[in-house]
Amino acid sequence: MSEQKKYFLTKEGLKELEKEYQVLKELRNAKTRGEAPNLLESEDLNPEYLSFQEDLEFLETRLTELENILENFALIKKPSKAEANKIGLGAMITVKVNGDKDEFTLVGTLEANPALGKISDESPVGSALLGHKVGDEITISSPVKTIYKIKKIRYD
Amino acid sequence: MIKKPRIKRGFVVMSKIVKFFHEIGKLKDMPRRGWILIGEKKPASVMDHSYRMAMMTWILGNKKRINTNRAIKIALIHDLCELYAGDTTPYDNGFKLPKDKKEWPKIFDNWPRFSRQEKMNNFKRKHKKEQAGLTKLTSQLEPSLKKEIMGLWKDYEKGTSKEARFVRQINRLETLFQAFEYSKQSKKRPYHSWWVGAEEHIDDPLLKEFMHEIAKKFYPKK
Repeated sequence: MSEQKKYFLTKEGLKELEKEYQVLKELRNAKTRGEAPNLLESEDLNPEYLSFQEDLEFLETRLTELENILENFALIKKPSKAEANKIGLGAMITVKVNGDKDEFTLVGTLEANPALGKISDESPVGSALLGHKVGDEITISSPVKTIYKIKKIRYD
Repeated sequence: MIKKPRIKRGFVVMSKIVKFFHEIGKLKDMPRRGWILIGEKKPASVMDHSYRMAMMTWILGNKKRINTNRAIKIALIHDLCELYAGDTTPYDNGFKLPKDKKEWPKIFDNWPRFSRQEKMNNFKRKHKKEQAGLTKLTSQLEPSLKKEIMGLWKDYEKGTSKEARFVRQINRLETLFQAFEYSKQSKKRPYHSWWVGAEEHIDDPLLKEFMHEIAKKFYPKK
């Protein structure tokens, strides 16, 4: 049997998923009772949940997915002082690539959003950066050669 | 007095659906911005891109434990907003294009780099414009359909579901694929930027394998 995947989450990411789970559960219960759920009028309801309301089969799938994540997550913690000079999950990294400055935050796959600079530790660049220190140069060459020079690492 | 013919409710809804399809049909003739910048004479349209993405989502998605029906819907609607918001590339975020159009393809040698704050600002600006575009496009549709399309798009933007995250990566790969095809056809430049960008975006194991197969096809080992 394959090992259960661990989902790495920030505190904020976890909070958001827990909230989504509660909202969708309430939505399903209200649907089962044939009621229009009050929460749909709520201002703080994420609009993407509305499509779950239109797609009941998917609502169930999403709830199962969330249950799986909430049973198998690991919280991303700030590393110890001895480890804080290395790139790990949650690290905010400043790099130079071909002379241009870029900034990333290394996150788990569920929170990755490269457009916002959040790159997954499972992406080719994310996994290559893991464990490196300031001053290191990481070359990724498959097939295009790109050199990432690590300039700064910090954790919040 | 001539009485106006009574319009049945269903008929009204159908006329709005016809209008919607007429509108989205315009995406067939809307070239993708990146291909204009590299000087393609017959640039693929937004619709061309969405169609191949939907095919890739279906066929590659079948190898994953995802809801392919939902994923294909996301692929089909993800760029509808561009009808009114326009198609943009990361190079449109404050980059000065060279005066000589012949020099434009050169900018695709490097993936554009931004600070954390710039990325946030670029994302918010684009998101706001696209949300307004999609709201306008779907405004005449029946509420349940409008809600579904908006919800699917929000899911895609945020990457809430695994289907949305999968399609976001397919979006990168279709664009990469097309860039490599143009590069091979024109024998001009390799357009490295799309590959470098994809290496920061793709984390799905199946799609990483697919990406390396694309590389093998277009960068055969010497």
